[in-house]
Amino acid sequence: MDTNNKKTEKRLLVEFKKIKKVFTTETVETRALDNINLTIEQGEYLSITGPSGCGKSTLLSLLGLLDTSSEGDYYLAGHQVANLSRDERAKIRNKEIGFIFQAFNLISDLTVAENIELPLSYRDDISKQERNTMVRESLKKVDMLHRENHFPSQLSGGQQQRVAIARAISGNPSIILADEPTGNLDSKNAQRIMALLDELHHEGATICMVTHDPRSATRAQRMIEVFDGKIVLDQSTDKLSAIAV
Amino acid sequence: MSFSLDIKYAARLLFKKPLFTLLTVMIVAIGLGLTLYTYSLLNHLIFSPLTLNNQKPVIAIEAEFDYDNMRRPAADPIDLFRVKSELDLFDGFGIYSGGGTALISGSGKDSAARKFNSTFAQWNIFQFAGVQPILGRGLQPEDHFEGAEPVIVLGYKAWKSAFSADKDIIGTMIRVEAKATRVIGVMPEGFAFPAMAETWQPISYKNLAPTERQPIYGGVFAYARLKDGVNFKQLEKELANLNQKIVQTLPEVMKFRANSTGGYLKAYDYKKVYVLQHYPIFISMFVVVFLILLLACINISNLLLARVNERLKEIAIRIALGVPRARLLMQMLWESIFICGVGGFLALLIAGWGLELSNGVFEQMFAVNQQQPFWWQVSLDSEAIVVLILAILIMIVFTGLWPALRAMSGDFNAILRDGTRGAISKKSLRMNKVIVVTEVFLSCTVLVIATILLSTTYSAGQADYGVDTEQRLTAQIELPFKSYPVNRRSAMEAEQHKKRLDFFSNLKNKLEQLPNVNAVAFMRSLPGTGGGTKYVEIEGREAMTLTENPSWNIDMVAIDSWEALGIKLIAGRDFDYRDNSRRPTTSIISESLAKKYFPEGDAIGKRTRTVGIGYDLPWQTIVGIVSDVTHGSAMDVASAKNTAYVVQMGGMRRMTIAIHYLGSETMARKSLQDTISSIDGDVAAYHIQSYDALIGQPMILLSAVSKLFLFCGVMAVLLAASGIYAVSANSIIQRTQEIGVRRALGATDAKVMSLFMGQASAQLTLGLLIGLTLSFGAINIMTDTMIISHTSYAIGLIGMPLLVMFMVLLATYIPTRKIVLMEPSNALHHD
Ligand SMILES: Nc1ncnc2c1ncn2[C@@H]1O[C@H](COP(=O)(O)OP(=O)(O)O)[C@@H](O)[C@H]1O
Ligand SMILES: [Mg+2]
Repeated sequence: MDTNNKKTEKRLLVEFKKIKKVFTTETVETRALDNINLTIEQGEYLSITGPSGCGKSTLLSLLGLLDTSSEGDYYLAGHQVANLSRDERAKIRNKEIGFIFQAFNLISDLTVAENIELPLSYRDDISKQERNTMVRESLKKVDMLHRENHFPSQLSGGQQQRVAIARAISGNPSIILADEPTGNLDSKNAQRIMALLDELHHEGATICMVTHDPRSATRAQRMIEVFDGKIVLDQSTDKLSAIAV
Repeated sequence: MSFSLDIKYAARLLFKKPLFTLLTVMIVAIGLGLTLYTYSLLNHLIFSPLTLNNQKPVIAIEAEFDYDNMRRPAADPIDLFRVKSELDLFDGFGIYSGGGTALISGSGKDSAARKFNSTFAQWNIFQFAGVQPILGRGLQPEDHFEGAEPVIVLGYKAWKSAFSADKDIIGTMIRVEAKATRVIGVMPEGFAFPAMAETWQPISYKNLAPTERQPIYGGVFAYARLKDGVNFKQLEKELANLNQKIVQTLPEVMKFRANSTGGYLKAYDYKKVYVLQHYPIFISMFVVVFLILLLACINISNLLLARVNERLKEIAIRIALGVPRARLLMQMLWESIFICGVGGFLALLIAGWGLELSNGVFEQMFAVNQQQPFWWQVSLDSEAIVVLILAILIMIVFTGLWPALRAMSGDFNAILRDGTRGAISKKSLRMNKVIVVTEVFLSCTVLVIATILLSTTYSAGQADYGVDTEQRLTAQIELPFKSYPVNRRSAMEAEQHKKRLDFFSNLKNKLEQLPNVNAVAFMRSLPGTGGGTKYVEIEGREAMTLTENPSWNIDMVAIDSWEALGIKLIAGRDFDYRDNSRRPTTSIISESLAKKYFPEGDAIGKRTRTVGIGYDLPWQTIVGIVSDVTHGSAMDVASAKNTAYVVQMGGMRRMTIAIHYLGSETMARKSLQDTISSIDGDVAAYHIQSYDALIGQPMILLSAVSKLFLFCGVMAVLLAASGIYAVSANSIIQRTQEIGVRRALGATDAKVMSLFMGQASAQLTLGLLIGLTLSFGAINIMTDTMIISHTSYAIGLIGMPLLVMFMVLLATYIPTRKIVLMEPSNALHHD
């Protein structure tokens, strides 16, 4: 299958070279990311951990083209990102990246199905009919098809996050970026979301997830620990668990 | 106590943002000030009933207001007598004939006749009003009897100005309308019932106990109070029934009493009959002001809401700390209590000042004609203060409670947990839409009505009446009945007519011989005054029904009067001695009439005839065509561009003079007075004023109202612009996260912009639809008594919606653009 092919090739998807991010407000200058070098290959499942305020979300925002770095180079699938126009960046976010947020961020006056259709509707190469099947497929994957005409406010937090996942995967992105996807959920619902991510990974998806829950972090293949804007640990979880044992 | 802490806290918040505080207090002050002013004004002029030292309101019963000619027609006494005797509803009922003048020749060396507003009243008038004379006695039933000695009760002003407040005046004989009359009483200062009376004389016995119909125009009016347990609705109903019976029994020649819909006798709130012609303008004023108040309320609550949104995190922390919700609510309320309280106090000052100005306007309005009803004196009263306090309370609830409740319905756990509010809830989204639509339709309605009124009153003030008004002096010339009587259908009638005519032509000739007088004109109503229309048949083109005939204004003019007014004779000839007749058979018509009805240019020689119920007039041959003028105030529906003139008839006792003078106006005034005195000292010239003042007089109220509308309009634009911006921006800022999400999902800038502009357009369309519907309704009412020009329509109905559209789109574009230009990650984490 196509995904198998990609896996075997081990294509380089993301390459961060000496990335720096500095926030300047009126009073302070925050070095949120300091000299980050990072590569992510196709099909990898990566977790990012670290204490609050260390720069995890900032890293994810840069990965997802939600923000621009202050210094350094970012290559996405081999292309230098810095030279892209605003519209080109929007197009990449739309096609190549799937976002999952801690606060779910579903749009409250759109139904479940409409929320999922939203990123697809921003493309002009998919017909309405194709969109419908894509929406239904991804809803089936997260087991939320029976709620397609509900509004977000009518769903529980876990259900909302499943819909958000469905929205993230509906367009077959190259990489899924999740920022504390279980942060707003109880443990039972959190488990279900984590299992869903596992499943997506097994199907070949590339996932980069921020979490401060160590147990969730170890479910990934590879774990990165950030401290004070720097990567202080980058290891395969097999080794880690071996050490722990 | 915790209370004082809360107040301190609210005060600190307000002082931290002085500009915000100042702005909100000013908006409240102006909104409430305008409302309080308009309420007080209308309350004094219309709504609070006239009670006159009694609990029960006074009611007017009279012939229905004649909107075509903007006048109060009088009723036949026999019909009002029937009302009084057949409807068992009254506790107090009396009749009067009003609007007349009494020419009183003063005593001493200053013997020129002076004019006072006279009333011929029923003897019970003073008891009814609950006021007794300060000197002498009031009227008695015997005073009405046939052959009784003529008596008069003087008003305070007449007593003071014509008789230097002579205490021995009671019992003396004075000349009233050249007739020896005994003074029997003097009324206290300020007493003017029925409305602006300055003298009272007994009404003729024939009117009190009528036995037959009066075959002529004129007649009487009635004042009344209802019996205990009877309400106005009941009176209206029973009167309507009786009216129907009366109208059916009207003989053919007296059908003119009823209007085309069968309306004749009608009961009114007493004060209302004096504002009927201004009623729509007053009501639209109230509507405009009320809408401005609503707009102010919405803007204030939106501003407070935006502030509450900024403080959401702080509020969440307070709730987490265990501050009871009720307490928190109170904390947030203190702010609007302060804003509305201070604003309300300022409103009191604004309203008081406005009322003071209004009294000045009334004084100016009635300076010449002295027709000011005695209750047209406005001030802030206790009732107004109560209304203000109520309005402040409502405003506090509206502007404070609502945002506070909305703020507290948020998901505080989410706010505290991840520092963001999460996406705005569906309910708040819908609420925001409602606010924007409301803001749009209120703004649209206010702006449309205010600009139409403004433009209408303004252009009416600039109107060209088609006459030369510079160096023109005007006055009413009135012959006293005693020395210039006319006995209808008697042998002397022709001679009596001639005597009246001779006076006027004598006056004209003598004046024109003076070196400072260029020319003199007499008209019944000079252009700029008068107006109203009558149906006219054109010979050979008579319509099947009356109302299908053309209609135009008919005025009366003396021979050789055009030049003095700057009116040009375009074709044919002027009137001359051959045309003099009690029933004129010739006419001169205006240019536009000739063009409209005789487009072939063959008007001269054609015959027309005034028709209508009760009319029996001869055909009149058109002998001349003159340039156009406008009769009536330029914005009255009763005004008329199309006028036909007939020659001054001998029967006229009162005419308006226009003198084209050289040199100073003072000299011209003196010349007029001296010339009249030299002919007949009992004849009075009154309402002496420049032509500009004469035309301007009916416009004084309008121009004052126009200024008010200008102020309202400016306020409306400011409130609408700032409100629309704040409301739109606020509702968009609350969707910052949504924009972040959309952009994270790959929406381009253009997609986001077009989505938001599209949604704003939908809200705009809905708001404009509602606003324009309301505006049309209001305009419809206004056009009952006002002529609204095409320009006014264009400015109001096209210009204002465009302005609102521009404001809404701009107010959407700017904030949306600002958020779109943010990094999506910033937008996502915005709070
Ligand atoms: N938009 C911003 N403006 C200023 N400072 C920011 C902004 N976003 C993040 N920061 C700062 O950068 C640092 C890293 O933040 P973040 O990446 O959100 O941390 P976390 O690891 O908890 O996700 C923090 O000190 C934070 O305060
Ligand atoms: Mg974070």
